[in-house]
Amino acid sequence: MTETYLAQPDLEFIARVRGLGGDTLKKCYQCATCSVACPIAPENSPFPRKEMIAASWGLKDRLIKSADIWLCHNCGDCTDLCPRGAAPGDVLAAVRSAAITEYAQPKALAKAVNDPKKLPWLLGIPAIWIAILAYITMAHEDVMTKLFNVFGIAWSHAHDGAEHVIAQADFFSTWFVDLTFVPLAGAVVIIFALTLKRFLTDIHENAVMEGKTDKKNLDYKALLQAMGRVIPRILKHEKFNECETNKERATPHMMVLFSFIGLAIVTGIFFIVLYVFQTPGPYSQLNPVKWLANIAGVALVIGAGLMIKSRLDDKEQVTTYKDWYILGIVFSVGLTGMLTEMARLAHLEWTSYGFYYLHLIAIFNLFAFLPYSKMAHLVYRTTAMAYAEYANRK
Amino acid sequence: MTTDNSAPVSGSIMVVGGGISGLTTALEAAEIGYEVFLIEKEASLGGRVSQLKHYFPKLCPPTCGLEINYRRIKDNKNIKVFTMSEVGHVDGTPGDYTVTVKTAPRYVNENCTACGECAKVCETEISNEFNFGMDRRKAAYLPHNMAFPMRYVMDPSMGTDDRDKVKEACKYDAVDFDMEEKTFDLKVGAVVWNTGWQPYDATRIDNLGFGRYQNVITNMMLERMASFNGPTQGKILRPSDDKAPETIAFAQCAGSRDENHLPYCSYICCMASLKHATYLREQYPDAKIYIYYIDLRTPGLKYEKFYAKLKEDENIFFVKGKVAEVTEDAASGNINLVAEDTITGDKVRQTVDMLVLATGMQPTAAIDKPAADLTYDAEGFIINDFSKGGMFAAGCANKPADVVTSNQNATGMALKAIQTLVRR
Repeated sequence: MTETYLAQPDLEFIARVRGLGGDTLKKCYQCATCSVACPIAPENSPFPRKEMIAASWGLKDRLIKSADIWLCHNCGDCTDLCPRGAAPGDVLAAVRSAAITEYAQPKALAKAVNDPKKLPWLLGIPAIWIAILAYITMAHEDVMTKLFNVFGIAWSHAHDGAEHVIAQADFFSTWFVDLTFVPLAGAVVIIFALTLKRFLTDIHENAVMEGKTDKKNLDYKALLQAMGRVIPRILKHEKFNECETNKERATPHMMVLFSFIGLAIVTGIFFIVLYVFQTPGPYSQLNPVKWLANIAGVALVIGAGLMIKSRLDDKEQVTTYKDWYILGIVFSVGLTGMLTEMARLAHLEWTSYGFYYLHLIAIFNLFAFLPYSKMAHLVYRTTAMAYAEYANRK
Repeated sequence: MTTDNSAPVSGSIMVVGGGISGLTTALEAAEIGYEVFLIEKEASLGGRVSQLKHYFPKLCPPTCGLEINYRRIKDNKNIKVFTMSEVGHVDGTPGDYTVTVKTAPRYVNENCTACGECAKVCETEISNEFNFGMDRRKAAYLPHNMAFPMRYVMDPSMGTDDRDKVKEACKYDAVDFDMEEKTFDLKVGAVVWNTGWQPYDATRIDNLGFGRYQNVITNMMLERMASFNGPTQGKILRPSDDKAPETIAFAQCAGSRDENHLPYCSYICCMASLKHATYLREQYPDAKIYIYYIDLRTPGLKYEKFYAKLKEDENIFFVKGKVAEVTEDAASGNINLVAEDTITGDKVRQTVDMLVLATGMQPTAAIDKPAADLTYDAEGFIINDFSKGGMFAAGCANKPADVVTSNQNATGMALKAIQTLVRR
């Protein structure tokens, strides 16, 4: 009746998970309290008990190829009730981090993002790049104007002749902003698209193997429909709100998520305003889009600030570099953005430029390293939740 | 080598706690010829064992063992028993201790024949802690039917009317309300702490519902219900409606092996639940019994055989997974429990008539620390420091243990106490 199963422990993987904040994993003695304590675990093959033994045995494939690790929202209810202090919540967070690195391409970049020693490079390279472009913007306006004229495009998006207006475009050309970030965003999308194909195949295979789905084949159309049903629930933080212990984390998370959505809308609108209507910024504070931008910016700073504070206050939960990195970047994006605007409104031209410089470095980190940092959960968790919906995993 | 090693019988030994291991230590030392003071907090000797229906694995009643020990005490002039007594503090050094003992008044003297006339006339009732408060008893009571000394106790809460009545009812002039609390010093050479254990307070295990839901009981409560001298005269009935339970679940490791409660294994709960399954089977041949466990620990050949035999019962189900969530169906009083069956990997949601929490043992010293120079581990068990000597712990004061192990350890500590006196 029982089939023979020979475990192939991956010791390196165990060590990696322990290093990523899952150092307690070996304390687990499989009592399964966690699977019951978890308010969002499904009835059939609940997590995180099975993940704990898989982690303990170094069964890498069973973990990183499982959608279940992404269904976990790190509520901490399991960790609270755990009789052994094995902290399943933290172990799963560490496993997710390992899974991000595992799926990410190129690997070297993924490793660098998770290595505190490489942080100077991650910050330094965009810092130099942006500095060069800022220098070109300010020192070689005439060269650039000529160059752009060859293609019949106006170079400057700064306010002509309006000396009193401080515009970031005078410091760092909007062309450069978009020539940097549009291709970057494109690259990220392509990387994710390639990864997702593999990820979906893996999680489906795993679900079939572990009997977690009633679907035999992966139907992408049905999966997309499932995604449509899941996204409103994600926006409402329905699962997150089922948590007990870390319940208060749902609100800051919601603030950050909505502010990113708000800022994306703002960026999209102003992109059209700039390139289609040829109206460069800065835009009036009375403009409703600007209101949205300001509200979203403030929400981002507060949301990220609250997240950092709760991480600092919570002595129970393990916080490692992967968490601090992304929290730091998100907080910096919001803070430098708001400071840039405030300095501009205060007519502190060079202060404003300084903050804008930092702002661009932070945004570069957020965008460029999205597939490799904890931020990738945006894609993996959403996909895994959509898959769970599609797979009838309840 | 002219040292006299012929065991001069000098100096006395104090044994604190008159449960099964205390009785053993006291008797082993006394029967060699040492004077022993046996101090018991309760009104009767016997301790936890006297609350049991059966010992495991032989399933014989506790009278087996207690009776013979009481006989031995009665026959041995070396043992002085002090019931309703507690140790105040211990001063001195190995071989020369002064122990302050405080005895509460029993209000009943040696004339008592346990005829029970006093209880008949007494109207005051108090909660019966021997049965974990599951019933009430008269304020004039016999601790239980295996009491030693076989003498009634008058609870101090008894009113003046009742006091007059019981005094009048007693034909032997045994009731004496003039008795007072006594404090006195005893000189001893060694002290053995057999202070035993308390059932872990199950109300602290939040997710298991004890104290909130009537039909969630503890293993020791079940033990009392199953005992003929218990609150239900041996019938196991569910508390909410006195119904005969048809489905009973056991939650093993309730508060044990749990850093949030008792981090250690309490050693006896697995065997206790298996034994309880035999009680239930005897009364209810068709009842379904579910034992939810992390690991079943039945150490040794005898216990393994006991377990193997129960596994043959087709109405006893062993589920590998800890009960982690408990709710109540308010209308029926039924208990809904949730666990993950780690063999199938599925969540189990089950409704049972009654849930028994296999709660563990907490050393009494963790709750009530003796005023003596002792070393404890983090959980309150007394660590035996043999290099220091003089004071030792045996039985469950030292580690979680079953009766057999407690007695072995109690015998060993009797020897250690004697060695302290001899080497003085």
